[in-house]
Amino acid sequence: MSRTYELVYVVSPEANDDQVAELHTQVEAIVQRMDGRIEKTDNWGRRKLAYEIGRHKEGTYVLEVIVGGGDLMKEIDRRFKVTDHIIRHLIVRVDEEQGVVERTRTRRTDTSQRRRVARGLPPERQPGEGQRGESDDEREDRPETGRGEAR
Amino acid sequence: MNGRRGFGGRGKSGGKPIGKDGQRRPMFRRRKVCKFCADKIDDINYKDVRLLMPFVPERAKVLPRRISGTCAMHQRKLRTAIMRARQLALIPYTTE
Repeated sequence: MSRTYELVYVVSPEANDDQVAELHTQVEAIVQRMDGRIEKTDNWGRRKLAYEIGRHKEGTYVLEVIVGGGDLMKEIDRRFKVTDHIIRHLIVRVDEEQGVVERTRTRRTDTSQRRRVARGLPPERQPGEGQRGESDDEREDRPETGRGEAR
Repeated sequence: MNGRRGFGGRGKSGGKPIGKDGQRRPMFRRRKVCKFCADKIDDINYKDVRLLMPFVPERAKVLPRRISGTCAMHQRKLRTAIMRARQLALIPYTTE
């Protein structure tokens, strides 16, 4: 049973690049030990936090996409909870969501192509055609009046 | 992202706007459209702060549907995305 998870962790700003790299190898070791695999690693670099966590105002964000079982993620979660340098982490299962996104996307292109063919048009949109796709919402070109200030 | 439809408008609430010269004018309410349906954004991702930020106004609350015009399905997805982004300190929970 293999699932896709996204793991994002925030490393404390005091940790240097080596320590961040070491955390990554730790994750890699756990993943390999419990026969999963890392699909993607992405270091977002140092970012300002939206709010203070402890006394930290910024942190290094790292994203890993991991394929593996639930117990693997449980182990990573447990490890991260006790690792000092990690000030926040989040694990999200993404495979189901991605499937849904893909299905809606293909369904939409399919219907649009079918409709275009039914109208006697080539299935793909030609450059410079229409405003933004098969936009069926009428535009209101009237000047904006009496618009309450937002918020 | 596109300046075509702002998230302005006061929703359904009545209100008689008064023009600059004090006379009453009928209020033009632009039809609100779910941004995610209109732009065909299927995936509302918690990592995409730029996408979420317009729905998190000053006080860092989630902008209600009646103001943004987001459809129910996308509002739900938006909410989870915002909550996840908050956990990672990408978006504030509140502002002082």
